[in-house]
Amino acid sequence: MSKPADLVQGTLDLLLLKILALQPLHGWAISLRLRSISNEVLQVSEGSLYPALHKLEQEGWIQAEWKQTENNRKAKFYSLTRLGRRQLETESANWQRLSSAISHVVQLSEA
Amino acid sequence: MRPEHWFFTVPLRIRSIFRRRRVETELDEELRFHLEHKIEEGVEAGLTPEEARRRAFLAMGGLDQRKEEIRDARRIHWLTDFVDDVRYASRSLRRSPGLTAFIVITIALGVGMTATPLSMLDALIFRPYPVPRPGEVVTLVSTSRDNPFDSFSFREYLDIRDHVKSYVGVVAHTALMTVGFSPRPVEIPRIRGALLVSGNFFRALEVEPRIGRGFRDDEDRVPGRDPVVVLGSEFWKSEFGSDPSVVGRTIRLNGRDFTVIGVGPEGFTSLYIFDRPDFYVPLAMAGSFTTNPKKSFFSDRDDRELTVRGRLRRGTRLGDARGELELLGRDFAREYPATNRERGAAVRTMLETRTQPGDANWKFAVIFTTLAFVVLLVACTNAAGLLLARARARTREIAVRLAIGAGRFRLVRLLLTESLVLALLGGICGVAVGYVGIAALQTFSIPAEIPVRIPFRMDARVLTASLGFSILSALFCGLFPAFQSTRVDLVNGLKAADQGPNGRRRLWGRNALVVAQVAMSLMLLAASFVMYRGFQRSLSEGLDFATEAKDHVLLARFDPRLVQYDTERTQRFYQQLVERVREKPGVWSAALTQNPPLGLEGWDMVTFVPENFEMPRDRDVLASRADTVDEGYFETIGVPILRGRGFRSSDDSGAPRVAVVNEHFAQHYWPGADALGKRFRLGGRAGEPVEVVGVAQNIHYGDIFSGRTDFLYMPVAQHPVARLVLMVRSDGDALQLLDPIQDVVRSLDPNMPMLRTMSYAELYRYSVVVGPGVAIKLVGTLGAVALLLAIAGLYGLVSYNVSRRTREIGIRMAIGARPRDVLRLVMGRGLALVAIGTVFGIAMGFGVERAMNSMLFHAGGTDLLVYAVVVPTMVLVTMLAAWVPARRAARIAPTLALRYE
Repeated sequence: MSKPADLVQGTLDLLLLKILALQPLHGWAISLRLRSISNEVLQVSEGSLYPALHKLEQEGWIQAEWKQTENNRKAKFYSLTRLGRRQLETESANWQRLSSAISHVVQLSEA
Repeated sequence: MRPEHWFFTVPLRIRSIFRRRRVETELDEELRFHLEHKIEEGVEAGLTPEEARRRAFLAMGGLDQRKEEIRDARRIHWLTDFVDDVRYASRSLRRSPGLTAFIVITIALGVGMTATPLSMLDALIFRPYPVPRPGEVVTLVSTSRDNPFDSFSFREYLDIRDHVKSYVGVVAHTALMTVGFSPRPVEIPRIRGALLVSGNFFRALEVEPRIGRGFRDDEDRVPGRDPVVVLGSEFWKSEFGSDPSVVGRTIRLNGRDFTVIGVGPEGFTSLYIFDRPDFYVPLAMAGSFTTNPKKSFFSDRDDRELTVRGRLRRGTRLGDARGELELLGRDFAREYPATNRERGAAVRTMLETRTQPGDANWKFAVIFTTLAFVVLLVACTNAAGLLLARARARTREIAVRLAIGAGRFRLVRLLLTESLVLALLGGICGVAVGYVGIAALQTFSIPAEIPVRIPFRMDARVLTASLGFSILSALFCGLFPAFQSTRVDLVNGLKAADQGPNGRRRLWGRNALVVAQVAMSLMLLAASFVMYRGFQRSLSEGLDFATEAKDHVLLARFDPRLVQYDTERTQRFYQQLVERVREKPGVWSAALTQNPPLGLEGWDMVTFVPENFEMPRDRDVLASRADTVDEGYFETIGVPILRGRGFRSSDDSGAPRVAVVNEHFAQHYWPGADALGKRFRLGGRAGEPVEVVGVAQNIHYGDIFSGRTDFLYMPVAQHPVARLVLMVRSDGDALQLLDPIQDVVRSLDPNMPMLRTMSYAELYRYSVVVGPGVAIKLVGTLGAVALLLAIAGLYGLVSYNVSRRTREIGIRMAIGARPRDVLRLVMGRGLALVAIGTVFGIAMGFGVERAMNSMLFHAGGTDLLVYAVVVPTMVLVTMLAAWVPARRAARIAPTLALRYE
């Protein structure tokens, strides 16, 4: 029940890095963003979101900061570090390679 | 991982460890923030607040599991677990304070007993030279049949320096020399220690002075031209109060003005273990110092006074360096047969130089350390036995933990943490014990002319080693019980508190521990006894003269070269000195010698060829230790002349050369014949003929370990020596003569320094009483501690067995067993173990005895008395240890015993 079965291993990391690359966000906002940008196709359990975020933080790819939200509450905002930006580049390149390879294979078998 | 990565992650880890609570609250806060929004969203979508709340938690999928996952992400679990284990271990150890204290004391004794000999071993053998990259520094020695660690002469040093290629630099230095020092010309000189060093000394060893400068090469080129001196840093502190303006000042050494050019770096105290020079002076100034007066330092190839060291070039293999120097040694022998026949050259590493076969100190250290490790081993087996018993009593607790899902590895870790806590506590107390021991060693006073430093100390190296050994002992005594006790049959384990499936095997383990303990302590006792007997043997002969002389003889050393006397003036000074001292009231006799027997300085080696003696085929000359004395010597020190005569004042430079030899010498070269009237030639076949006119009794000449040796006395009038000891024998207390003798010296020359004046008793106490006493005490303490530990171990085993078998004993007694039967039953096993241990112990004792005899006492055979004393003691004491708890068992009332459990 922990890992979303429909997400390829490591994909969640990539998604989170990508989302945080656009702007710093807190956990709740990230979960909303995840839901909306993937058009509800990718089901990310809210439970696995926080362990994933903390793992990225401990890896040094994102960093956290307590800030005021728009309705004046304190929340933990995550943002990308320099290392994270580099990691995002490699991971997305990997992803491009992998997905194009897979779609290539898929097309082959249909032909 | 990359450093940049650490930049982000290391602060996080540190924060997770040290701000654990803060990190946890932040986590709670973050999750609550999320849940509140989720609930709000649900309520807005029309759910009841309760339902929204339920769904929000459900979406999280188990809040606590998530938190645990997040904690895992911090990657400090190993640490938090360890901290938990330590906390748990200390709590459970606090619950059994008696046992804890016992184990801690046991290990403290074990570790403490090793710390003291370790500090000796480190100082004497392993502590690196106080220079950068000490591993590159090797010693170059001249080798002869009599001395494989001989020094080189100045000429030889120059040849070596110019011909070898394996080194970055080759330096030479003398042994520590006494020097008369006065900060201002008018002051009466004080005695200090100086080292003559080659000009490249500081540079090649990379210990260039921080204040001022080291020597330039040209300052060590022309003999006598450049009177410059570098001060030792400790001397600079004590004498000049760390004043940096001392550089450029002039001080007076042996009556000559020297310019201070620098101060040696802090912590550099030459490459010697015991010496700390106050001055470093270029070799070229040797003329002002007390080198061998019979030779010419700068030109004689056999004036061997220099220790030569080299710093190996990087990448040079030691083997190549050895080969190179051996070749050069052979060249020397070919080119200079007069001085280098049968002589080679060799490279020695630091370890090799410090473990010379002729030196007794390091052998002591090795023997002590080995024995101390045996004590540590006994202590560990004791602790292991107790932990095993404790683990058995905890079978049920462990079974419960395993049953509710604890991993075996995790449990072993917990149990090991327990023994680690014990061992570290023990280790810390042990360091305190060791500190006391080392402090006791440092109170040693060595009656040398220049204060000698005692190099034994509790430094970081010894501390690390001691704590390291306590951790090792934790593993040693904890691992076996931990694995044993976690291999539990759950069903049985849960049923009874103290029952193991493989009880037989476990008992076997405990039995082996007891056997080992008995054997090892027996061996230690035997070792201390062997040492005691060995010393007694050495002290029982060859010391009669000293016991009589010690309270009546006063010693004062002189070296007129310190005040620039030439040979003639020196001889006149000594002659007048002895004459005038003899006239003083209370003086029974007075004499001159190079060295008093049992003194700290080495003896001259004299080479000779006996007449009518068939020389061994491979040797040209023979060598013997020798002393140069005057006519009053034998009377004053009390060494009897057994045959012939001592020296007379008529044996002067104009008379035929004569000598007195000891019994050993006489029997060695003229066995079965009368040595009187026999002759030998000094130096070689063509040397001066010398006639033996007397045979003196064998005595101990140097340290009391050296076996019997040849010894030769020659009259000082025929072989003038500058550095002599005046010995004065009084009718009463020797120290009463101190003032009259000082008056005599002052009347002869008010500037003449008296180096190290003392009564012979002081020397005697050091060489005969204190040194051997300390050794016996150390080994005796080791043996006593081991015996104590063995008693405790056996007592523990038997009383543990009794408590386990209380019920069985009760039944036996109920059906008619008498107390005596019970006693036999319980003690039987203990005694069997003692018997087996004793057999092993005797065998080990033989081995140790042989090793000690060959290393220290130069004796062979087995001293049966040792075992006749040690074995019954051991058996008696261990029987008592078994008997006390066994008697308790025999007194068990059957009714009580049956109700037990």
